[in-house]
Amino acid sequence: MGKFLIRRAISSAIVFVISVVLVFMSIRILPGDPVLAKLGAATQVTPAALKALREAAGLNRPLLSQLFSWIWHAMQGNLGVSYFSQFPVTKLVGARIPVTLELTFFIILIAVILALIFAPLSSAKPGSLIDRVIGYVTSLGLSVPGFVIGIIFILIVSLKLQWLPSRGFVPLTTSVPQNLKLMILPSITGGLTATPYLVRYLRASMLEIKQSSFVRTAEGKGLSGARIMFRHILPNSLVPTLTMLGLIVGYTLSGVLVIEYMFGLPGIGSLAIESAFKRDYVVIQGVALTIIGFFILTTFLFDVLCGIVDPRLRVTKGQKSEA
Amino acid sequence: MTNALTVKNLSISVPSSKGRVTVVDDVSFNIPEGKKVGLVGESGSGKSLTAFSLMRLIKDPVRVDGGEIFLGDREVLGLKMKEFRQLRGSEISMIYQDPMSALNPIMRVGHQIAESIRLRSDVSAKAARKTAIELLASVGIPEPDRRVDSYPFEMSGGMLQRVVIAIALSGEPKVLIADEATTALDVTTQDRVLTLIDKLAADRGLSVLLITHDLGVAAQFSDDIMVMYAGKLVESGTVTQIFSHPVHPYTKALLDSRCDYTIDVTKPINSIAGQPPRPDNRPVGCVFSPRCEHVQARCTENVPPLTLVEERLTACFRAEELFGVGQVK
Amino acid sequence: MKLKKHFSFSGALILTILGICLAAPIISPYDPYAIAVGDPFAGPSAAHWFGTDDLGRDLLSRVLYGGRITILIAMSATVIALIIGTLWGVTAGVRHGWVDEFLMRTADATMAIPQILFALVCISAVGASVVSLPLVVGILLSPTTARMARSAVVTELASDYVVAATASGLKRSRLILSEVLPNIAPQLLVQLSINAAAAVMLEATLSFIGLGIQPPNASWGTLMLQGYAQIWNSYWFVFFPAMSVTITILAFNAYGERIRVSLDSRRSSV
Repeated sequence: MGKFLIRRAISSAIVFVISVVLVFMSIRILPGDPVLAKLGAATQVTPAALKALREAAGLNRPLLSQLFSWIWHAMQGNLGVSYFSQFPVTKLVGARIPVTLELTFFIILIAVILALIFAPLSSAKPGSLIDRVIGYVTSLGLSVPGFVIGIIFILIVSLKLQWLPSRGFVPLTTSVPQNLKLMILPSITGGLTATPYLVRYLRASMLEIKQSSFVRTAEGKGLSGARIMFRHILPNSLVPTLTMLGLIVGYTLSGVLVIEYMFGLPGIGSLAIESAFKRDYVVIQGVALTIIGFFILTTFLFDVLCGIVDPRLRVTKGQKSEA
Repeated sequence: MTNALTVKNLSISVPSSKGRVTVVDDVSFNIPEGKKVGLVGESGSGKSLTAFSLMRLIKDPVRVDGGEIFLGDREVLGLKMKEFRQLRGSEISMIYQDPMSALNPIMRVGHQIAESIRLRSDVSAKAARKTAIELLASVGIPEPDRRVDSYPFEMSGGMLQRVVIAIALSGEPKVLIADEATTALDVTTQDRVLTLIDKLAADRGLSVLLITHDLGVAAQFSDDIMVMYAGKLVESGTVTQIFSHPVHPYTKALLDSRCDYTIDVTKPINSIAGQPPRPDNRPVGCVFSPRCEHVQARCTENVPPLTLVEERLTACFRAEELFGVGQVK
Repeated sequence: MKLKKHFSFSGALILTILGICLAAPIISPYDPYAIAVGDPFAGPSAAHWFGTDDLGRDLLSRVLYGGRITILIAMSATVIALIIGTLWGVTAGVRHGWVDEFLMRTADATMAIPQILFALVCISAVGASVVSLPLVVGILLSPTTARMARSAVVTELASDYVVAATASGLKRSRLILSEVLPNIAPQLLVQLSINAAAAVMLEATLSFIGLGIQPPNASWGTLMLQGYAQIWNSYWFVFFPAMSVTITILAFNAYGERIRVSLDSRRSSV
C-alpha cells in the first residue's frame, strides 16, 4: 500500500507543479498589463512612470526569477499581498476557503447520493422505461449549463414559492440553521450539474461488471438480485468510478466558481472572479494555486480510496503469493 | 425411484439475422441419483447452454423455448424466480469453466463461501467462517485457516476452482453441474480436480453432470455418457458401451478421429469431413446427415427419434442395421 | 439493422440553429440595439415573439444576434481546438519517447486546472474580446482533443496497413497525411461536436459572469447576465437565451453521440 501511495503522491505533485507554473506564466506572458489595469485606461501615464510602477511591483525582473521568488515565498506561506487592497493573499484565501469547502462537500454528497440511487435503477434493467427516462434526463442535464440550473431554482424557489432567499451567506459559526438554509440552493444546483456525469459513468461501469463471470457465480449461489447488485456489482464498479469522481470534482470546482458568484457566497471561487475583474494578478495566482492544489489533493485522496476498496491495486510485483 | 434430474424436451433459441434460431433442440435425458454423467460435444453443440438452463441462468436474448426440468419430482422451469432461487445452490449447483474470473475479485474467498452458507442457515459470521474453513479443507486447500482470508488474485487456477467447488457444495446440493470445469487447467491439476469431484460426489451421494469436449476426461470420470451434436442428443449409454461399441455414426466418427499415439504417423488423421451446421442453417431431418457416410433419403427428410438400440439410446434410423451386434463396420 | 444513413435529427437541428443565427442580420425583425421599440418587460406577443427587455429592446432580435456571436466564437474556438489538439496529439502519437511523455504530461496538467479558472486567468490578462475568447476557449479544449487524437493515431499506427506500408518503404510523414489522418477523421468529428458543445457552454458561462462579451454587444451568456439581473421583473428575458443555449448544446452533444455510436457499431461489425 505504501509504495502505491508514494507513486501516486509523486505523480500528483508533478502535475501540481506544472499546472501552477502554467498559470503563473500565463499571467505574465499573455499581453495585457496588470499595472495599467489598476491605473485604469483613463489615466495618462508616462512610459517612465509605468516602468517605475512595474519595477515596484517586481514585474520587470526575468520571468524565472519571478517564478522562483513566488514559489519560495509560497512555500513559506506567503502568497503576496493583493495588488489592490494590500491585504495578504493568504489571509484572504484562508478566510474564504471554509465556504468553498462546505459547498464542495455538499455538492459531492448530493451528486454521490443521487448517482447511487439512479445508476442501480438504470442498470438493473437496461433498456427498460426507467433506464431510458434516466438516460434522457441525464443527457439533458449534461447539456444545461450549471448556472441555468441555478437560475431555474431561483426562479421557482425564491421568486415563485418564496421559500428560500437567493443570495447571501451566514457562517456556520454564527448560525448553523441559517447557514444550511442559504446553502441549499447552491448545493443542489452544483449537485445537479455533477450528477449526470456520475450517473452515466457508474451505470456504464455497472453494466460492464454485470457481464462478468463472477456475477454469474453469485447468481448460481442463489443470491437475490438486490444482494448481487449491492454487494458484488456496485463495489466492483466503484473502483473505476472513484477515479472518475476525482475528475468530476475538478469539473465541479469550475462550476463552484460560478455558483459562488451567483449566490453571493464568499468563497475562493467568487474571490477568483472578483480579482479577475480587477486584474489583481497577485490574488489570482494565489487563488489559482489554492484551487489547483485542492483539486489535486482531492484526486489523490480518491486514488487512495481506490487502493482501499480494491486490494489488487495495493499489490506490487513481488507480493503475489504462490499457489 | 425418481431421478435426481430429469429433462424433457428442452429447447433453447438465440436471435440471429434470420430471426430466432434453435441451438438446443428437443433434448431429453435423466440422471439417476448418485450417477456421474458426462455430456460430450464439440463447441457450439449446445451443451453449455443446456447446463445453464438447468440453473435457469439463461439470459435474454437467449431464451428457453420449451421443455420441462425436474429436480427430483419437482418441475423448476415453471417456478417463480423467487422460489427457484431457494433451490439454486441448495438443490442444484454449478462450477464453471474459468476459475480465474469466477470469483468476486475484491472479496475474500472465505467471505464468498460464507455468503453462500449464511444464505441458507441462520448462523453468525463467525460460525459461517468456521464452516468455510472446513469446506476449504475438504476440497484440499492447504492452510485453510490462512487461505480463508485470501483474495482471489492471490491464488492459482487450481486452488480457485477448489474454492468454486467449495462454494458449490456449501449448500449441500443433490445435483452438481461441472461446465468444462477442468478445461482451463493444466493436465495435472485437471486430474486432481476431477479426482476431488469424484471423491466428493461419492462421499455425498451427488449426481454429477460433467460437461466437456474432452473424450478422455469424460471417459475417466463418468458412469454414463451422452453425446450432443448441433443441439441434439444423438447417443447415450454407459461409458463402456459408448467407447467400445458406439451405435451412432457421429459417435463412431468422433472416436475414430482420436489420436492414438501408437498409430502410424504416415497415415492421415480420420477427421470428420465438413463442419457442424450453423444454428441458422440446420439441416432438415437428421442433424448429422450432411456429414454422415451412411446417409440415406429418409435421414434428410425425418428427424430420427431417440430409440433404444443395444440397451442404449441413439438417434439414428440405421443404428441397428449398421452397428448392431454381429455387424462389423 | 441499418441506421438512417445520412439524416440525423440532431444534425439537422445544428444546421438550423447555425443557419438562423448566422443569418441574424437578414432575418432579425428589429435592430437589437434599438431601444424602446416596445414596452419594457413585455411578454411574448405577435409584435415581439420573445418579448422585450428592460430597455424595450426586442428580445428575439437580441437572441438572434446573440446567437450569432456565441456561435461564431464557439465555432472558432472549436476549430482552434481541433487544429491545436490534432497537431499536439498526432505529434505525440507519432514521436513516442520523451516528446510523447512531455506533451501528454502537459496535457494532463492543463486538464488539471479547472476550466473556468484557467479561462479566468487568461481573460484577466488579455481582456475579453471576439478574438481572445475563441483563443482562450480553444486552447482550453485542445488537451482533450490531443488525448483523443493521440490514442487514435497510436491505434492506427499499429494496424496492419501501416506496418505494411512502412515495410514497403513509404515515408512516414506521407503516410500520416494521406492515410492515417483520413482514418481518424470520424473520431475527430465526434470530438469536434463534443467540443462545440463545450465551447458554447464555456462562452455562455464566461459571459454570464461578466468575463465574456461586454455590452453593448451581447452573446447569449451576456443576455442571460442581464436577464438574471432583471429576473424579478421578467423571466422571459433570461428564459429565451437560456433555452437557446441549452438546445444548442444538446444538439451538438446528441450529434456527437450519434456519430460515435455509428462508429462503434461499424467497428464492431468488422
